[in-house]
Amino acid sequence: MNRDEIYAKLTEIFKENLDLDEIELTDTTTADDVEGWDSLAHIGLIAAIEQEFGFRFAMKEVVNLHNVGEMVDLILQKIQ
Amino acid sequence: MVFSSVLFLTMFLPIVLGLYFLAQEKMRNAVLLTASLIFYAWGEPKAVIVMVALIVLSYVVGLGIEKFPKYSKCILTFGILSNLSALIYYKYWMFLLENINLCYSPPPISVIPKIALPIGISFYVFQILSYLIDLYRGQVAAQRNLASLATYVSLFPQLVAGPIVRYETIEKDIQNRSVRYEQVYQGLRRFVIGLAKKVLIADQMAFVADTVFNSPVKEIPTLFAWVGALAYTLQIYYDFSGYSDMAIGLGRVFNFKFLENFNYPYISKSISEYWRRWHISMGSWFRDYLFLPLSRALSLSKTYAALSRKIGRKRTNIFLTAVALLVTWFIIGFWHGAGWSFIVYGLYNGFFIFVEILTGWNKESKSPFVNLICHLYTILVFIIGFVIFRSDTLDYAWQYIKTMFGDSNAPLNSFYKATEFLTYSNAMIFIIGCILSTPLLARWYSKYEGTKIDAVVMLVLFIVAYVFAITSTFSPFIYFRF
Repeated sequence: MNRDEIYAKLTEIFKENLDLDEIELTDTTTADDVEGWDSLAHIGLIAAIEQEFGFRFAMKEVVNLHNVGEMVDLILQKIQ
Repeated sequence: MVFSSVLFLTMFLPIVLGLYFLAQEKMRNAVLLTASLIFYAWGEPKAVIVMVALIVLSYVVGLGIEKFPKYSKCILTFGILSNLSALIYYKYWMFLLENINLCYSPPPISVIPKIALPIGISFYVFQILSYLIDLYRGQVAAQRNLASLATYVSLFPQLVAGPIVRYETIEKDIQNRSVRYEQVYQGLRRFVIGLAKKVLIADQMAFVADTVFNSPVKEIPTLFAWVGALAYTLQIYYDFSGYSDMAIGLGRVFNFKFLENFNYPYISKSISEYWRRWHISMGSWFRDYLFLPLSRALSLSKTYAALSRKIGRKRTNIFLTAVALLVTWFIIGFWHGAGWSFIVYGLYNGFFIFVEILTGWNKESKSPFVNLICHLYTILVFIIGFVIFRSDTLDYAWQYIKTMFGDSNAPLNSFYKATEFLTYSNAMIFIIGCILSTPLLARWYSKYEGTKIDAVVMLVLFIVAYVFAITSTFSPFIYFRF
């Protein structure tokens, strides 16, 4: 899976979990840029991502993510 | 020692400032640490031993987490448990034993030991925990210098009543910081504002609130029940935010940049927003170290997986949120004190936050009418919350709330004559207190900051506050009890 495919899947997950019709995710997108992406929604997103890609994040990793780019890097690293 | 006491203002603070600025740069932490230990030992020398023991233990635990990554989880767990056991023993043991005795007849425990609460333990234990957990999560490096760690935990500006400063915030400053006179001035200015809030508003409102809340509930007429609740609402804000201003200001004098603890909570339009503006350092602590890890653990459980297959992920998330909020707010309530009214206070707030999440209350509205309704709802909820918080027993709280909503036969005149607490000056302070709890005046005044006018205003404010501080009856800060 490459970055673009991960982005496509992430966009779907974000839309469904945050109840959004449209969302544009980029490497520099942070929680502040997306409506409804608070810390609680973050936990829900992480759970959905884990289910979609079939791996587990550590709590350490969950709290140290700063933007979507880092999230994609981490997913790439985990599924390889 | 209390910030608004003569001893602190005329002896302790000037001496510490003098020594601090005269000392060589590498000796400055030593000055701060010594001053902090004296500050803490002043009231109860024995309590220092508990604090120092926890600091030394946590210092070793911190080094262990970094040195043995393989066992870091075990070492962290040990560190958390030992700090929490100290907190539970000193703060909750008596309460737990008393409640066990209430459950059985005859009571199984014949002698309940009297345990004195070491002041500030709830705050410094939380600071230590933030250090250990952040270290485990790889967000900070272990502190190798015991004195530096001890300085961080015991720093007298925030030792007894917060803000709960995270190690991350001061990690760089604790090693390396210069003296900057601009910061010293700004810090002292902030201290004066806090002192004025405390002695000119909070202490005056305390007189009104105490008069009402110390009366038997049957004698309080509905109108005065509201006066008491409103006065307490102002008192607790100016007391606690004033203390935070003084702490943040003193930190700044020594060139530490603590994060803000209050952000005009009374202008909130939801209880969720209110808790992002009130006692921010505590709210964010519980969010990051309890609510989120707990939600995370729940989302990894088998029940969660099974339930989300059955009823869908979204509905399952609502359950998860409810459980995580229930636990978190129970503990937030309990953190405030070993008593049922604090627990109810916590759950009461958690309930409204859950309803707000469920109904999507938090989404911004453009209609001024909707905003007004949201604002009124929020004010009503936190005022009633403060009644629960202020009441010694749940029964008193319940009777008091009923009185507020009309269940009272007490004659207005006799209560007023018996107490005579409504003076023009209190009414004025009440109005000023309401206005200053919004950012309106501060926004207007901000253009004078840094001018000569501002310096004169601050000097006058300090003199007036100082005169009030030395002449008024001694009054400790509300949050010292926790």
